Amino acid sequence: MPAGVREPGLFASYDLGKFYDEMFSAPGVPRPHYAKIFRKLATTATAEFEERRQLADLSFLLQGITFTVYNDGRGTERLFPFDLIPRIIPHSEWDRIERGLTQRVVALNHFLKDVYCPQLILKDRQISRSLVYSCKHFRREMIGVKVPRGIYTHISGIDLVRDSKTGELLVLEDNVRTPSGISYVLENRLVMTRTFPDAFQAYEVLPVNHYPAELAEILRSLSPRGEGNAQVVLLTPGIYNSAYFEHCFLAQQMGVELVEGRDLIVDGGIVYMKTIHGLQRVDVIYRRVDDEYLDPLAFDPSSLLGVPGLMGAYRAGNVALANAIGNGVVDDKAVYSYVPTFIRYYLGEEPILRNVETYVCSRPQDLAQVLDRLPELVVKSVGESGGYGMLIGPTAKKDRISEMRQRIKADPRNYIAQPVIGLSRVPSYHASAGRMAGRHVDLRPYCLYNGDKVMIVPGGLTRVALQPDSMVVNSSQGGGSKDTWVLRGED
Amino acid sequence: MLSRIADSLYWLARYIERAEETARILDVNYHMMLEQSYQSSRLRWDPLVAMAGEEQRFRQFYSEATSRAVFEFLAFRSDNPSSVLQCISKARENARTIRDRISREMWEDINGLFHSVFRFNPQQEITAGPHRFCETVRFGSHRFHGVAEATLPHDEGWQFLKIGWFLERAEMTARLVDVQYQNLLEASRETDGTDSHLWMAVLKSVGAYEIYRRQYHSPIEPEKVAEMLILHPQFPRSIRFSITEVQSALREISGSVAGSYANEAERLTGKVLESLCYDKIEDIFNHGLRSHLSSLLKMCLAIDEDIARTYFYYAVVA
Repeated sequence: MPAGVREPGLFASYDLGKFYDEMFSAPGVPRPHYAKIFRKLATTATAEFEERRQLADLSFLLQGITFTVYNDGRGTERLFPFDLIPRIIPHSEWDRIERGLTQRVVALNHFLKDVYCPQLILKDRQISRSLVYSCKHFRREMIGVKVPRGIYTHISGIDLVRDSKTGELLVLEDNVRTPSGISYVLENRLVMTRTFPDAFQAYEVLPVNHYPAELAEILRSLSPRGEGNAQVVLLTPGIYNSAYFEHCFLAQQMGVELVEGRDLIVDGGIVYMKTIHGLQRVDVIYRRVDDEYLDPLAFDPSSLLGVPGLMGAYRAGNVALANAIGNGVVDDKAVYSYVPTFIRYYLGEEPILRNVETYVCSRPQDLAQVLDRLPELVVKSVGESGGYGMLIGPTAKKDRISEMRQRIKADPRNYIAQPVIGLSRVPSYHASAGRMAGRHVDLRPYCLYNGDKVMIVPGGLTRVALQPDSMVVNSSQGGGSKDTWVLRGED
Repeated sequence: MLSRIADSLYWLARYIERAEETARILDVNYHMMLEQSYQSSRLRWDPLVAMAGEEQRFRQFYSEATSRAVFEFLAFRSDNPSSVLQCISKARENARTIRDRISREMWEDINGLFHSVFRFNPQQEITAGPHRFCETVRFGSHRFHGVAEATLPHDEGWQFLKIGWFLERAEMTARLVDVQYQNLLEASRETDGTDSHLWMAVLKSVGAYEIYRRQYHSPIEPEKVAEMLILHPQFPRSIRFSITEVQSALREISGSVAGSYANEAERLTGKVLESLCYDKIEDIFNHGLRSHLSSLLKMCLAIDEDIARTYFYYAVVA
């Protein structure tokens, strides 16, 4: 476009609202790390952008990169919506995130190792025994079990949000059971480089595709028969699981066998898989099946997804599991509020990334506050994820609030409350209007821990709430995702 | 290789092949009708339904086996598990459970085929005739073979894929010969003898017409057509060729050499193949084509069952 000609284009009537915008510091003024891509987009015709967007969608459809929704009766696959405007993080900010996450993952691993063995932190009364033992995902069966190389949190996905008020990145929750989404990080990048090659030329974006190789290396290192003999498998609940695509993707990228429970058998405390030439020993299981379904003999007896006897083989040290069983205790949202305490207790450091301020309803003084200020808070059930069991005070109807009040009173242990965080926004394509609009985002980086160091793929999954004004980014609730760029420099 | 994966590869191939064969037969039957419209009442559609083994189900939905009804039933109906769409859907479902073990190209190819056949509007196609639809399926299947051949390691998984393709093909060719032989013989009895156009169409349906001309240099005779489809050693859709491929794939997996066998499936395959190699077409006609074909089909079923017993199922749990 010739200089001087101004056309409204994709950013016509773009409204920053009262939120922190990742691209703009003021109306029409991009932040330094977004300047180049903004100039590019501002001169892109809507029709051309639309064309590229369709190309990207088609690419996802043909590759079958979908997740499964169950409520439409057919269990059909749906595309995980992808938005073409990347979320960009300058290097200095990433550096801080990386240090903060590393600290957090190491502290979480310390806590798990402690709570399932010497329980020093309980004896020192840093967190109450009753709170820990009442976690839905606390596994007494794991007490005293020596896990391979003392690692519990091989893979963690830690959700970060930026508070619009302060511009600070806060930790919203920890996912150290079976976090999913990494495949979208890798596929988003692939599709993005195909659809917008020119955007990459303007930047130095750190690569992400080494994740499967790093994960494979950690898994192999866990083998009870030594790395040379490591038969690693990925255990999936099967094709009806919403993350099945990811299970396949990772197995393929790591070059390991993708197995279902029915492919495995335990004999004499050893895990085997059924092959066309007989039984073959399995050493390491990257399991994407939840604790309670892993072994019908140890946990839910009705589970068809698990392997009878697996827990026994694990306890005997004949097979390694990643992640460890019982990690869910730190995913509990009440325990989450103690993670800063863990960091101070185990590492003697101050947390680099802060938590969102959290009221734990099992604490009487917190409970009083929560009941008092319910209409202005977000209430969450401690054991739920994916945006289920949540109440957003400011937008909730009166009867929903009083209903929640009763539920909290009846079972305070099950609830926590947090102030409403105005999540930051990134311009995202609003197809029906043919232009950009600000949409709220979070960020889930994926951390791998090998016992010595934490490796984090630069960036992670940026989830975006594509519905106007929505702050719920979960894919089950209409969320999408963006490619996330960590720059080698600042712009 | 996991037993479950071998099982899925085998069925993936079988379903693709079945979709292709069904599409071929629909297409050719339809065109036979067009070329011979004056006696179309004598050429029947119901043998096609019989071939798919779905007569009972067909009668639940239709009172008469018209071309429209049979085309709809065999190509599109979601409540007919043998319809082309259902076969492709099941092939894709099998591919989906083993996406980590097949090449990315294979998955994208079968996924693309799935989306393209499901985009067809059945009512429009039924009016337009089956050609466009059938061609999409036929070329989809060919492309899948090509993509698999070029991108999948030729290891045990590849052998299971081959067994699936060729066992299904052998069975479908046997059914095709059986059904069309009856169909055309009856038609010709009522007219003034053999109609070479119809036999030509049968040959074309399996892409064998040109090969036939080169081979026989003679007018088209039903016995020679049968010979070609059953006994030809090099024609890739003949029963003999297909069973030869099954045998070689089975041997690749078990490592057994010519003259020996490692399991029941290999023994039966060898037996069937021996008669296909040494029987003459006259012998087959003397013993009765129908009974010959039906015992062949029984053998194929037994081979299928024994492959499953040997490689797929762990009946006894340790």
